[in-house]
Amino acid sequence: MSGKGLVDAERRRFNRRALAPSLIVLFLIAGLPAIYLVVTSLTPFQLVNPGSSTDFSSPLRNYRLLPDDPRFVNSLWVQAKLSFWGVLFQVLLGMLLALLLHTQSRVVEFARTFFLIPMVLPPIVVAIIWKLIYTPDISPLYYAASLLNIAMPSLTSSVDFALTAIIIADTWEWLPFTFLMVLAALQTIPDEFSEAALVDGANRLQIFFYITLPFITPILVISGMFRLIDSVKAFPLVFLLTGGGPGSVTEVTNYYAYLLAFDFNEIGYSSAVTIVMLLLVVAVSLGVVWMGRRREAMA
Amino acid sequence: MTKKNSDDKPARFSRRKLLQAGAATIGAAAFPMPGIAQPKPFAGVTLRGASFQHRFFTLLQNYIPEFEAQTGMKVDLQLSAFPVYNQQANLELSSGGSAFDFVNVTFILAARWVAAGLLANLDEFTGDPNLTPAEWKPKDFVEGAQVPYRDAKGATYGYSWEGGAMVMGLSRMDLMEKKGLKIPKTFAELQQVCAEINGTDGVTGLVSFQLHHWCLPPYIQGFGGNIFRNPPTDIMPALNSPEAIQAVEFYSNLLKNYAPKGVLTYTEDQARQALLTGRSNIFIHSSAWITPILLSNESKVKDTSRVVRMPAGPVRDFPAANSQGLGIPKNAKNKKAAWEFIKWALSPEISMRLVKEHGHSSVCRRSVIESEEYRKLNTVGGQDLGALYLEVLGLPAKGENYMAYRTVKEFPIVGDVLNKAFEQVATGQLAAQAAMNAAQEQAVANMRRAGTAL
Amino acid sequence: MSGGTGGPIRRPASVRRLVAIGVTLIVLLSPFLWLLQMSFKSNDLILQFPPPLIFTPTLQNYAALWQGAFPASFVNSLMSASFSTALALILGVPAAYALLRWAGRGKHALSFAILVTRMAPPIAFTIPFFLFYRWIGLLDTVTGLVLVYTSFNLPLVIWMMQPFFETVPSSLEEAALVDGASTRIVFLEIVLPMVTPGIAATAILCFLYAWNDFFFALILTRANARTAPVAVVNFMNYEGWEWGKIAAGGSLVMAPVLIFSLAVRRYLVSGLTAGAVKG
Repeated sequence: MSGKGLVDAERRRFNRRALAPSLIVLFLIAGLPAIYLVVTSLTPFQLVNPGSSTDFSSPLRNYRLLPDDPRFVNSLWVQAKLSFWGVLFQVLLGMLLALLLHTQSRVVEFARTFFLIPMVLPPIVVAIIWKLIYTPDISPLYYAASLLNIAMPSLTSSVDFALTAIIIADTWEWLPFTFLMVLAALQTIPDEFSEAALVDGANRLQIFFYITLPFITPILVISGMFRLIDSVKAFPLVFLLTGGGPGSVTEVTNYYAYLLAFDFNEIGYSSAVTIVMLLLVVAVSLGVVWMGRRREAMA
Repeated sequence: MTKKNSDDKPARFSRRKLLQAGAATIGAAAFPMPGIAQPKPFAGVTLRGASFQHRFFTLLQNYIPEFEAQTGMKVDLQLSAFPVYNQQANLELSSGGSAFDFVNVTFILAARWVAAGLLANLDEFTGDPNLTPAEWKPKDFVEGAQVPYRDAKGATYGYSWEGGAMVMGLSRMDLMEKKGLKIPKTFAELQQVCAEINGTDGVTGLVSFQLHHWCLPPYIQGFGGNIFRNPPTDIMPALNSPEAIQAVEFYSNLLKNYAPKGVLTYTEDQARQALLTGRSNIFIHSSAWITPILLSNESKVKDTSRVVRMPAGPVRDFPAANSQGLGIPKNAKNKKAAWEFIKWALSPEISMRLVKEHGHSSVCRRSVIESEEYRKLNTVGGQDLGALYLEVLGLPAKGENYMAYRTVKEFPIVGDVLNKAFEQVATGQLAAQAAMNAAQEQAVANMRRAGTAL
Repeated sequence: MSGGTGGPIRRPASVRRLVAIGVTLIVLLSPFLWLLQMSFKSNDLILQFPPPLIFTPTLQNYAALWQGAFPASFVNSLMSASFSTALALILGVPAAYALLRWAGRGKHALSFAILVTRMAPPIAFTIPFFLFYRWIGLLDTVTGLVLVYTSFNLPLVIWMMQPFFETVPSSLEEAALVDGASTRIVFLEIVLPMVTPGIAATAILCFLYAWNDFFFALILTRANARTAPVAVVNFMNYEGWEWGKIAAGGSLVMAPVLIFSLAVRRYLVSGLTAGAVKG
């Protein structure tokens, strides 16, 4: 019908006009920088050598240097460890917390809000909080340890515990995220299943494993993946608590790229490191989107 | 008392001119000329400077209003935390910025900035009698403190406001006397004293802080090694020489066994606190951080403290010396005004006032340090701190310039590698030899990647 | 998200459970509470070992903060967060609507590209922004920060507003369109009023993300446009760790965030997952 056709055309025009400014702006402030990043990663650009920003004589030089750079390889391992353990504990503890709070009570619904606090604090404040806890001179943790006659080393300057200290702080910060997601999922599980199971004589544990868990597993996986993507951004904690140390034990790739760019001014090399990080993030993001679409298809 | 400038519109060039004109008018109206009809030479200029937070600047800010009244310019001094300032200033200068008219040239970065030509040559200002009167005496600055600010040809790019002469402070002479220990003069004796004192009365033998590439080289050189093979000409790193490995083992043992928990992340201030409260006996660092045990009101150990030369190594006796200085970025907009400020801030008069009125004694003018008043204020219990300070500061100029490693522009790269390697040894991750071998490889690789031909 | 009453074993809370929840809450929040209580202690008390739990609180730390550069940094944070939120909303809300109704190809690719900008670590953008701002003179300006914050808030707006627009029945729009109204009118006068809660929630989230930013502000500002999170770190200065001021500064920086986010807690998760998980 020509009437609908006109409406459609007008609609398309509106859509274009509504979308265009955003796309243009996004291209300018996100797309262009990304292109610039890729281009710079092909140069040996250093701030103190002005000519180096356009030196394309050896475009893959930075990428070739990466595998031989023990600090870079180490940073990938550190990141992997931080992400793995962090996500694991966040998912597990978040799930346990959700199970604990999955109950009918006005009080609990009100209290639920307070559990979110660690997640909404500015990350740098979270770093400050944990800096206070990990500084022996002023920390209640060390006081308690001395009362119990435990010789606790300074965690953030201990090779064995520095990364653990950061994982603890990171888990504390993001626990509420998985908690919220799992709690929401728990509330969508229909009553009939568990009621039927109860009638059949199943106990709590069996109900958990055979009914609850299958239901929330997709949510667990998805929240885990989101946290995985975000864990690459870990900066304030490392910046404030350990500075990447002791040695390079807590130097994650993001932090290493930061040092390269802003302390050593090796802009080109830092860009290459960043690109590698981005590729990893994109890969995981693709996984998330794919899983989300699978879920939609199944639902 | 930092002043804010919220001007952030792109059309700020014309706006600045408007501001200048406005300021000049207001200035002329607000300051009634006291009979001397002299136009203020820099009326309407806003001078922008930056540094890290340090007592020197806090004290200087008390005097800045006088300077502003004299010259008519406004001084906008931005102070930041040490690591933040260094990074921002380095970034600013490396990218050829003109946001600042004068900057602090931190000793860590001095060589890099001078070698890369990021600072203005100050000889043009000191050599011009119209700009600098003879009484200002550029040669009055202690040699050792000025070395980092000179390029290979001897031109000067900065003047020092703070001298760091590495000395040893002992806070618990009472414990030492009780145990019949003498002040250690060699590395071996140092270890012995630390071992004996550690644990007595809850006191640790030693305290230190996280800047290993400052604390460690005297040990490396003391055992006969160096950071580079033969700086400034041969800049191949020498991190895995047997002497360097020996030094790393020695110093890391001290920290592992005789220092407070968490010492590896200690800041200078934490270490100073430990010394001032007598919780640690020995601290080896720049005199400005040590002399408070004798001079400061915060010190709880005034009666049991000594400040002496740090112990000598078996091969060499090279206590480190450094300085902080003021310089003018190459692309600064108000260079003449900046020089006026630097000239004033580092003048003999202001230096003397800082000593007399605030007891701030780490200035760098020989005439001030050797003066009567300085001597009076800085001699405690028969210890002439001024003489000690001068002695150590002047050592690198006396024979071999052993601080030459500091003037190599790649030092930050090597220093960082050294820091990380030392941390690995001190935390037991790696043995000294393995760590230093890896450090040597890393240092060479990083230097090559940064474009140095080795 | 707020479906069903049920789920396995959702009984009314037992006393045991309530107590367990209470204890867990206190344990979980104790680091945060520790920071708060430290902000009311004087520096001597802080350094005292053992740390006293009962003490006379003092406001001296907060008072001392107000004398430095802290108020100015607060203003900077406020301005950069507000303006970037406004910009992101103005650009993003219509774009979200258009994207939703987009019938053409490339919708998924576009959505994915937008998602990636949200997920990339800040350093990916800081280097180009730093160099560009150096060149054009936007370093250490609030304008510069606003642009940078818009770069991650705009995708957030587009993602978050789509589910809200989905709840507007298309029959309503169709009816109005058939009656001859232009899409613009339909959007402004019919659709938009129905999603105002969503806009409010999205706005607050944008504000939060901009306010909480540390990395961009650290690199792209000096002292003029320094924001509150960076100013707090600046207290960790060369000559003394002023723990009291640090704690007070941290408490101040988190105060607005805390208040606002508790107001939009319902939308927090969708904001964090950028809407990729619906339901």
